[in-house]
Amino acid sequence: MKKVAFKTLGCRLNQYETDALASQFQDKGYELVQFDESADVYVINSCTVTHQSDHKSRNFINQANRRNKDSVLVVTGCMANNAKEELESREEINYVVENDQKTSVFSLVEAHFGGEIIHPSKLNADLFSYGATDKGFHTRSMIKIQDGCDNFCTFCIIPSVRGRAASRPLQDILTNIREVISHGAKEIVITGVNIGRYEFEGYQFDDVVEQILNLEGDFRLRISSIEPDGFREKFIGLLNHPKMTPHLHLCLQSGSEPVLLQMRRMYTAKRFKEIVQTVRAKNPDFNITTDIIIGFPNESEEDFSATCDTIKELNFGHVHTFKYSIRKGTRAERMPDQVDERIKTERSEVLRNLSDEIKVNYRKSFIGKTQSVLVEKIDGNIANGYGEHYIPVQFTGENIEKNQFYKVKITDIEDGSDPVLKGEIL
Amino acid sequence: MRSHKVIEIRNLTSSTYVIRMEKNDFTFKTGQYITLGFSGSIDRREYSIYSSENDNFLEVLIKEVENGLVSKKLKRCKSGDYLDVDGPFGHFSLEESEIGRKKFLFIATGTGISPIHSFVETHPEMDYQVLHGVRIEEEAYEKDSYPNGKYILCTSREKSGDYHGRVTDYLMKNPIPSDTVCYLCGNCHMIYEAYDILEKQGISLGPIHTEVYF
Ligand SMILES: Cc1cc2nc3c(=O)[nH]c(=O)nc-3n(C[C@H](O)[C@H](O)[C@H](O)COP(=O)(O)OP(=O)(O)OC[C@H]3O[C@@H](n4cnc5c(N)ncnc54)[C@H](O)[C@@H]3O)c2cc1C
Ligand code: SF4
Repeated sequence: MKKVAFKTLGCRLNQYETDALASQFQDKGYELVQFDESADVYVINSCTVTHQSDHKSRNFINQANRRNKDSVLVVTGCMANNAKEELESREEINYVVENDQKTSVFSLVEAHFGGEIIHPSKLNADLFSYGATDKGFHTRSMIKIQDGCDNFCTFCIIPSVRGRAASRPLQDILTNIREVISHGAKEIVITGVNIGRYEFEGYQFDDVVEQILNLEGDFRLRISSIEPDGFREKFIGLLNHPKMTPHLHLCLQSGSEPVLLQMRRMYTAKRFKEIVQTVRAKNPDFNITTDIIIGFPNESEEDFSATCDTIKELNFGHVHTFKYSIRKGTRAERMPDQVDERIKTERSEVLRNLSDEIKVNYRKSFIGKTQSVLVEKIDGNIANGYGEHYIPVQFTGENIEKNQFYKVKITDIEDGSDPVLKGEIL
Repeated sequence: MRSHKVIEIRNLTSSTYVIRMEKNDFTFKTGQYITLGFSGSIDRREYSIYSSENDNFLEVLIKEVENGLVSKKLKRCKSGDYLDVDGPFGHFSLEESEIGRKKFLFIATGTGISPIHSFVETHPEMDYQVLHGVRIEEEAYEKDSYPNGKYILCTSREKSGDYHGRVTDYLMKNPIPSDTVCYLCGNCHMIYEAYDILEKQGISLGPIHTEVYF
C-alpha cells in the first residue's frame, strides 16, 4: 500500500483542499501518514501570504526531500503560483501545481506511478471538482463555495495567486452538502477566499446560507472567514437560525480609518463596529474573531492605539495578529514610510498580550453556561471537541462517541493563553 | 488579459494625458478601473476608466507622478502601440435605482476626476454637482465636458478656481443637504477628512462610495 503525507499552510481554504485531496488518495487505496514519517508521496499545500509562510513552505519542502529522496514531491497552493519558476528549478520537486489545477493532484501522481510524466499545465483547470472531505483530517466537513477575489486590498497577494472571484453553482453546493450529511457529517463549514462576494445566477451569499440552513438533517453550519463588506441585512437575520453556529471570523485588519482607506478595505471601522453591535444585540455572547495586520506602511502610534481601542471595545473571542510584510507586486510594496521591524515587533507584543487577555475573559464568561459539543477526539473517558461558539471544550463520560453532539455544562477553565473550557455532560 | 491598440494620446498638461484605446469587446460598469501596462510587461498599475460606458473606445486619464515608473512609461506610448488591459475591477459604482431619483455630489482630487467623468458621460441626465480639488487651474482636466454650473473647481495654490482652498474647506463652508448621494475619489487624506465632514452633515456613506488612489 502506497503512503501519502500532506502538509498544509495558510488558510482554511487550503485546509479544505488538502482534506479533499487526502480523502481522494485514501479512497483510491493510499495510506495517510504523518508528514514526519516516510512516505511515497508528499504533497505540500503552500501559502505565500507573508514572508513567514514562504519560509515555512520552503522548510517543509526540504524536510520532505530529506525523509525520502525517492518520493514524489508535489508542491501546490499559493506559493506554487507566486514563485513558480523558483520551485520548478528545484530538482527535488517533481511537480509544481498551480491553484486552479490543484483538483488534479491525484491523477498527476497516479500517472507518475504509471510511468507517464504529465506537465501540470496540461491538467484540467477546475476550481471546484473536489469530492467530499469525509475522510481527511477533520470532523468538520468543509465545503468550498467560492474561489478567488477581486478586492485587491493593497497589502494582499491573494487576488494574484488565487485569481478572479468565481462561485460554485448553488445546486452543486447543496448536492455536496446533502452527500456529506448522509455520510454522517455533523458540522458543515462553508469556505472560500471571499465568500461574502458569492454570486451565481442571481444567488448571493445569504441565499446560499439560507438554502443550506433549510436542508434536512442533524447538522450545524459554520461560516469560515468573511469580509465585513460582503453581506446584506438578510445574512444578519439568518445568524439566529437554530442550525447556525454563533461564530463569525470577521476580518478587521486595522481599527484606524486612515489605515483602512490606505488598505483599500471596503468598510470603515465605524461600520465594522455597527455590524458587531447588531449581531451582539440579538445574541450577546456571539463569538466574533478577527485578523489584525500590525505595522502596515505609515501606521502611526495613533493608528495603532485606534486598533487596540477597537479590540478592547469589541470583546473579540480571538484576535489573529500578523506582522505586515511586503508582498511583491502589491500596491503597499510601493508605499513610502514602511514601518521599522522593531516597532512592528513591539506592537505585536502589545497586541498579543491584549488579545490573550480578552480571549481568556471571553471564555471565562461561559462558566455556568451550556455548550453543544461536537466530539472530535476521545482519550479514555476524556472527550475533546468544539462548542457551537467554536471554543474548545473538554469533558469526561462513559461510552462517548466521536462525531456526536453532547450537551455540556461549563464548570471550569484551564490556565494559559489558549484555555480549554471544562465541563460536565448534562 | 487582453491587448488593446492605442488610438491616440491627448496631452492635457505637461504631465497629464489621456490614452484612447480600441474598446474591442470590453465591457464595464461606469466607475470601475482596469490595470494597464505595456504588452508583456510585468509593471502594471490601476487606472479608472475615463470614458463612458457607451463610447466605442476606452480612455484613461493619467498624471505622470514624480519618480513614477508606469505613469512615466505610459506617457511615451504612441498610436499603434499595444497595451495589456486587465479587468474591469472595483465596486465604485452608481446604484441603478438612484440614478434618476437622487441628487449626487461627486468629490475628487487630481486625476480622481476620471471615474466621475465616466459617470456623468454615461448618465448625463443625472442631477449632480462635481467638486474638483486641484493645486492649479490647468489641472481642471477637460472641464468643458461638464455643463455650466455643474462643475466647481477648488484650487489650493492659486486663486483662479471657483473657490480658493481645498475641497474640504469648501465642504465645511457650504454644507450639503443630507439626502445627497456622495462619491469621493482620489487622495486618501482628502477622502478621510471629507468623510468626516460629510458624516457630521448627516450624510451616510456606504462602502461603494470611496475610491482611494494613494
Ligand atoms: C483603483 C485605482 C485607480 C487609479 N486610477 C488612476 C487614474 O485614473 N489616473 C491616475 O493617474 N492614477 C490612478 N491611480 C494611481 C495609479 O495606479 C498609479 O499609482 C500611479 O500612476 C503611479 O504609478 P507609477 O508606477 O508611475 O509610480 P510608482 O513607481 O508606483 O510610485 C512612485 C512614487 O510615487 C508615489 N505615488 C504613487 N501614486 C501616486 C499618485 N497617484 N500621486 C502621487 N504620488 C504617487 C508612490 O508612493 C511612490 O513613492 C489609481 C490607483 C488606484 C488604486
Ligand atoms: S478581500 Fe482583500 S484581504 Fe481578502 S483575499 Fe481579497 S484582497 Fe485579500
